[in-house]
Amino acid sequence: MAKWGMVIDLEKCTGCQACTVACGMENSRLPGEHWQDVIFFNEGTYPNTQLKWFPRPCMQCENPSCVAVCPTKATYKSEEGQVLVDWERCIGCKYCMIACPYGVRFYTDEKPAYGGPDMKEAFPSDDAHSWTPPWKAPQEDWKHGVGVQPHDVVSKCTFCYHRVSKVPAGTINLDPSDPKLREHTPACVVTCAPGARFFGDLDAPDSEVNRQIAAKNGVRLLDHLGNKPQVYYLTGEGASVPADRAVKPKI
Amino acid sequence: MIARTEPKSVGEVFALFGRLYRENGPLGFTRLALTLGKTPTPAGRWWLWSVLLTVVAGLFVLYQLFTVGHSAFNTSSGGVVWGMPIATYVYFALISSGLTMIASLGTVFGFKQFLPIAKRCIFLSIITLVAAFSVLALELGHPFRMIWAMPTGLQVMSPMFWMGIFYTIDLILLIIKFYLMWQEDWESPLSHAVGVAGFVAVILASGMLGMVFGSMVMRPMWYGPFTSIYFMLTAGLCGAAAIVVTTYMAYGFNRNAMPERLRAMASGHDLPMVFATLIGLTLIMFVTRFWVGLWSNLDGMEGFRLLVRTPLFHIELWLGLVLPFVMMLMPGLQRRMWPQITASFLVLGAMFINRYEFVIGGQMIPMFKGTWAFSVPAYTPSATEWALTAMGFGIALALYAGGEKLFHLSDLPPHAEDVEVTGQLVIS
Repeated sequence: MAKWGMVIDLEKCTGCQACTVACGMENSRLPGEHWQDVIFFNEGTYPNTQLKWFPRPCMQCENPSCVAVCPTKATYKSEEGQVLVDWERCIGCKYCMIACPYGVRFYTDEKPAYGGPDMKEAFPSDDAHSWTPPWKAPQEDWKHGVGVQPHDVVSKCTFCYHRVSKVPAGTINLDPSDPKLREHTPACVVTCAPGARFFGDLDAPDSEVNRQIAAKNGVRLLDHLGNKPQVYYLTGEGASVPADRAVKPKI
Repeated sequence: MIARTEPKSVGEVFALFGRLYRENGPLGFTRLALTLGKTPTPAGRWWLWSVLLTVVAGLFVLYQLFTVGHSAFNTSSGGVVWGMPIATYVYFALISSGLTMIASLGTVFGFKQFLPIAKRCIFLSIITLVAAFSVLALELGHPFRMIWAMPTGLQVMSPMFWMGIFYTIDLILLIIKFYLMWQEDWESPLSHAVGVAGFVAVILASGMLGMVFGSMVMRPMWYGPFTSIYFMLTAGLCGAAAIVVTTYMAYGFNRNAMPERLRAMASGHDLPMVFATLIGLTLIMFVTRFWVGLWSNLDGMEGFRLLVRTPLFHIELWLGLVLPFVMMLMPGLQRRMWPQITASFLVLGAMFINRYEFVIGGQMIPMFKGTWAFSVPAYTPSATEWALTAMGFGIALALYAGGEKLFHLSDLPPHAEDVEVTGQLVIS
């Protein structure tokens, strides 16, 4: 059984947000409900400032605090390492959103975050779904938090569970340049133009992700919190993983 | 006019209602129920207004939830995900816990001078917990799903799971204890055991509610074992303030109308001493929490600096805690009625601010949220959230007034010395 993990090379990431858009299209997300996002932030004070960006999917932690706090076991860790939400068990208490250090969980029954029209009102649903996107990917699996969600549940990145779970057994590298594996690779990895993302089996010593982590000193975001992310960042010489919450409030 | 004592069994209650229905007809019965009997009582005056408040606020919330859904709240995935309804839930849940602790002074720990308020404490503890659960149920996305998903999920790692377990046990034990008191069984081994178990349950429940927040290492403004202790001790203060306010309310804010034992307690030394001690403990913890928070550089602690700049913080500290503390320490004021009432109201107001700033303040510094969350989230409760809070207050007040009419909440154990039976329920 594979333990899927992702490596993001910050030296290659251009902050183009193609991953964010691909994720939104693949998973039929609302505007603002960015399971995958690239956070832009400033560091330093004028005149010595830098614009930085930081791609941030769900970390699919090995020791996920969101799973531990869920009072109904709606949030769970799959055998292959994805942290998923069973939308038929979720009671919408939002405790997992409180407990996630990475801010990657979303509750869509709220006012639009982006100031635009409310897409849920523009494209309402007449069944149990929370809305009907004008274009929607075909997959739907509420037990694994895939598809358009019902009302009043928490949603999150699934590592494209609907794609990855169908990968041929024994695969350790999900390389989007391989036509046989492309459709099983997470959408953000497939779309990444500079090839900054790698996806593979963290349990296989020879996998590309492990090779990259070893060769380029892969680090994990907020590692001191003990959640042990399965997403690793390569920082190299030109980039860094923020040691704090990235968005520094002006206080 | 029929003078009645408190009905002594559930059967008697239904028989009474049945007789009233037959004698007065449907319209007359409804009118009697709405006015809580023809004879006005001090607590009964609160009934109509609180029922009205509950109905209006509750209908508004339900209308919003059915038409708009939880989008009617101003909470946001980008920052404050637990809004004012959660603060209101914590407020009422901890008032309930505190009332059980205060009741236990007399029923468990043998401080007989506190027995005159024990029954009222237990009753109020039940109804404030009902108010807390009602608010929480309307805040949750799927409250009914919780009923089967929590027992079948058995996520023993979740503090929220244990909070639910212990508050449910707490509620059941409170109802049993109240039933036994209603049956005038205060001191049998069973009644004592229920009291002890109830006290243990309430310590665990309030501690577990503290742990819901205190275990969140990624939210340093909440994190730490201190949080559970903070919740337990401040619960005690909330309970003390609530029982002082409601006991005076029951007698129309007139100490002379009280039974002798109760009057003696209200004008004695022990009540202000306990009250002042609890305010003092709260002040120490409150100041310690902010002191440490303001000093620390840890990422996420910046919220403390935001909080001390709000007027609410200063209203809470100076008006809601320091002033009542001084009032309860001053020999010339501490035993007088109006200073006691004023101090209690101020403390109840301050503790609402406290729960609000605890819950909201702890989420002010956003996580790695992304494109739409640039800075400190702006959160102001929406009309629906205010209405939900108002509904919580309405439920607590209405059930209190109803209970004041139905039961003798100032009852003492049947064999207690100097028992004075007054305040009989009068229903025409």
